Amino acid sequence: MKVRALALLVATALLGCGGPSMDPEVASASAASRADYDVFALRCSKCHSLARPLNSGIDDDGYWRTYVAKMRRQPGSGISAQDSVAILRFLHQYSIEQRRRKGKPVDSPALTAPSPAPSETGGS
Amino acid sequence: MSSRGLLLAIVIVAVMALVAHRPALAFDEERNFAGSAQLDYDFVPSEPGAVAAPGPATTFQGFTLESALKVAVDISDHLSANVKACYGCHGFELDMAYFDLRAADELNLRVGRFSPSFGAFNLRHDPANHMTSDKPLPYDMGRMLRKGDWYNGVLPSPFPTNGAELNGTHWIGDVAQLDYAGYVVMGFKNDTDPNPTDFNLQESHLPYYVTSDPRPAAGSRIALTLKAGDKSDMTLGGSGMFGTYDPNNRLTYAIVGGDLSLRVGRTAVRMEYLVRRQQMDTSNPDIFKYAIAPVGGDFFAKHGAYVEVEQPLTNALDVLARGDGMYRVGNVSNAVVGSGSDAPGYSPLSYESWVARETLALAFSVERNFRFKGSVELWEFSYADMAGREAELSFHLGAVGSF
Repeated sequence: MKVRALALLVATALLGCGGPSMDPEVASASAASRADYDVFALRCSKCHSLARPLNSGIDDDGYWRTYVAKMRRQPGSGISAQDSVAILRFLHQYSIEQRRRKGKPVDSPALTAPSPAPSETGGS
Repeated sequence: MSSRGLLLAIVIVAVMALVAHRPALAFDEERNFAGSAQLDYDFVPSEPGAVAAPGPATTFQGFTLESALKVAVDISDHLSANVKACYGCHGFELDMAYFDLRAADELNLRVGRFSPSFGAFNLRHDPANHMTSDKPLPYDMGRMLRKGDWYNGVLPSPFPTNGAELNGTHWIGDVAQLDYAGYVVMGFKNDTDPNPTDFNLQESHLPYYVTSDPRPAAGSRIALTLKAGDKSDMTLGGSGMFGTYDPNNRLTYAIVGGDLSLRVGRTAVRMEYLVRRQQMDTSNPDIFKYAIAPVGGDFFAKHGAYVEVEQPLTNALDVLARGDGMYRVGNVSNAVVGSGSDAPGYSPLSYESWVARETLALAFSVERNFRFKGSVELWEFSYADMAGREAELSFHLGAVGSF
């Protein structure tokens, strides 16, 4: 009984500690980019860690469109068409940063204005 | 490992390596190569003194490894393929090998080998996608204490099998997402025992994926996700599966479950309930612990549930508190189930038995793709082990990486 009470106490204390901070790449971003990141972080962390997309090495908007559409179709994803626009916008900015770091051109055709894949708009 | 298992492992790894390194094709085929590995150490302080006890001694103590490699290929806008090979306690296993043929978001045909849609947890069954080293008890596959007594959870996850599934998702505006799935699959089997009383889970993990029972199992799932705002959503789901598991197609099993998950910001609250009602072959009464009741004596029911709260504390640290348990009611077979070595010759379970567990876990990300996991678990059983214990503690310390 004492063990259970202690565990409950520790759990309560930990749960009251506060929320997550932002990924370092986003800390200095604009308010709009932060809002997009929030949507990305909230929706994508529902089923997997954010490391999956952020460290995937993908920096191609076309690829992201396909993948966000795929994730949107996952059962219970909670990623609406509106969410996918914000997520794609964040991933677009993130891809630009990744390309800069790798020394790749940032005006590449792989980087285009974010818009959901065609199948995403017909879901509602 | 058998030579056939080794051959399968070599073929799987070779095919995945070839697919992963094949140049992109002219129609802009998209490929995604991913994987994970978890090493866990399970420390059970009370176990050494109970080694002679048939049930508790079957706990997996010490190091265990779960690893997986997955290739997802988007062949066109409407066709994709997934292959996932795992290496864990069973050796090599093909967790996924299927094609998705999608006519629309609402209509997708999946054929091949996969875990059919059941419950909410299975989508996160990869150790990189949950914060504890082990799974909730209803989905336990081998990590629970006294696993030989209980023969794992209600529906050990993952549960890959061969078959076809029709599934889809439909958004109602931007506020509701309705998911459905219906499937026919090979399902759980027991081809080995002369008087089957439970699944033979080892058979489901053999490299030779055929069975003498030709009748498929069928099941379905429906779930509704509601978004209450920008930062919260709720999913309510129900699942069911029905089939026969013996070579004569006489012994039925039915598994039903309900799940509810709530997200407010990054805080997640999840709960699930499952029950499996399973018929037993009672033609040989001598193998049973109790006299067979004339009515309702030919089945058992195994219930399982969990409630958990997951809260990120910082960008790197997550905490999870979970309560879970199982309750089994029905006669007890004293015959060894399956071909594994974990089934005791004498079951300590009674007509009604239960197990409850409370877990407090922390997960710390050293880097985005690498995380340490630690948890303490308090176990309580409705029956004493050979040493007279009804409560036990266990500790997990693990590390998981993904790419």
